[in-house]
Amino acid sequence: MVERCYVAASLDEALKIRKETGAHVLAGGTDLMVQFRQGTGISPVFPFPVVIISSVRELDDITAGDDGTVTIGALAVPARIAESQLVPYPVRAAAARMGAPALRNSATIGGNIGNASPKGDLPQPLIMLDARVVLTSLDGEREMLLDDFILGSKKTALRDDEIISAVRIPPVSWSYVFYRKIGTRRANAISKLSLSALMRFEDGRIADFRAASGASGPKVIRSREAENMLKGLDDAEARAELPAFLDAWNEALSPHAMPQYRRNTTRRMLEHFITSALEHPQSEIIV
Amino acid sequence: MEFTLNSKTVRYEGNPLTRLVDFLREDMNLTGTKEGCGEGECGACSVLRNGKLVTSCLIPMGALAGDDIVTIEGLRETEQGKCLISAFADAGAVQCGFCIPAMVMAAQALLLADSDPDEEAVRLAISGNICRCTGYDLIVDAILLAAKRGKGLW
Ligand SMILES: Cc1cc2nc3c(=O)[nH]c(=O)nc-3n(C[C@H](O)[C@H](O)[C@H](O)COP(=O)(O)OP(=O)(O)OC[C@H]3O[C@@H](n4cnc5c(N)ncnc54)[C@H](O)[C@@H]3O)c2cc1C
Ligand code: FES
Ligand code: FES
Repeated sequence: MVERCYVAASLDEALKIRKETGAHVLAGGTDLMVQFRQGTGISPVFPFPVVIISSVRELDDITAGDDGTVTIGALAVPARIAESQLVPYPVRAAAARMGAPALRNSATIGGNIGNASPKGDLPQPLIMLDARVVLTSLDGEREMLLDDFILGSKKTALRDDEIISAVRIPPVSWSYVFYRKIGTRRANAISKLSLSALMRFEDGRIADFRAASGASGPKVIRSREAENMLKGLDDAEARAELPAFLDAWNEALSPHAMPQYRRNTTRRMLEHFITSALEHPQSEIIV
Repeated sequence: MEFTLNSKTVRYEGNPLTRLVDFLREDMNLTGTKEGCGEGECGACSVLRNGKLVTSCLIPMGALAGDDIVTIEGLRETEQGKCLISAFADAGAVQCGFCIPAMVMAAQALLLADSDPDEEAVRLAISGNICRCTGYDLIVDAILLAAKRGKGLW
């Protein structure tokens, strides 16, 4: 049976179609068009109705609120996210390393979240930054932590009548920050592993420390327990605590394939970031 | 649904899920746009959408309302296109030619954003375009040559 395909010109129209037909959203199409392709000369066939929202212009703004919260519309593409000075560094860095130039002009942040692939690149830094997703339905809006929205590999808490309309990143500051994606090649490389981390010093002590591991489990991994081990410590105390911290982070990982490689590489990257930050270098970005 | 294709307005009433690459090649007979992988990996189907490079095998027609699409057939009528195509020929960058229309589109997207790119920027701009013949160096040379010869065009 051939399912219906709708094209929505506004968010309101898309929400009505979604509510009435249960249509799945097609935004950039870079996941869906590959998944349901039929081959040359044949249009893709979907096992469910689809609503194309690519032309809903109200969903692609990137704005900053008075309190410093940054809101990224669901249709914003990686090329624009990577260029926006409003967006915090780890998210820009992740966007800049997605796919190849053409993919970065088509893929959307909403699709990257909606797809909930453990290898998706944007949820990882967003979860480190305590980003929230804005879910819109005809009944209104609700917001939840992205970390709670993504339930596992390919699973989200999206309701049948909802569309992801935006992502909100609360204000954040750091003394040092890190982002690394390890892929197989330069372009169109799906992440084998990725890591973000940040550290903020206040009066000689670690006031904030966070990290997030991508492609190391069914969803992005953050261990607040491990993070807390470093908070409040001065440089010497942090150096002494480092091995225990690294063990605790390692405990939290659950890599599916190549577990030893992923564990060792994550450990080395975290150790590199933390020891570098404890040297208090000039540049806030640790590479 | 209306959009612009190579400076002409097109009305489209067909299946919104039809891929742009199929529409171009089969309905419009614009066969300069190639299909290699059909999965966004090889770049052979690259066109410009609102001045930005995109892979037309991933784009459903229903996503195009109000957009401006340029293919190699449109670009080669312009001064910029002519400059690029002659630079590719003069640099000896064309072997079997399968990847070349898309390479030219990638070069155009780059030069629209940065009219004086360095080699690194050129390599990045074509990083999603696979060429099985040339080993890329001659293509990079061709794009740098076009940028030099075409000063003021972009
Ligand atoms: C060649 C290639 C390279 C790639 N490289 C990378 C890479 O380096 N890193 C990476 O992370 N990904 C990569 N991807 C995967 C893909 O491009 C991303 O996941 C992209 O962000 C998906 O966005 P989209 O809008 O194109 O998704 P779509 O295909 O439109 O949708 C994907 C899923 O999300 C849902 N969805 C989309 N938008 C919404 C919304 N607003 N509300 C609710 N649900 C929604 C859809 O229903 C669908 O289930 C690559 C894909 C290809 C083809
Ligand atoms: S055919 Fe579109 S990217 Fe290969
Ligand atoms: S010239 Fe043959 S693929 Fe590039």
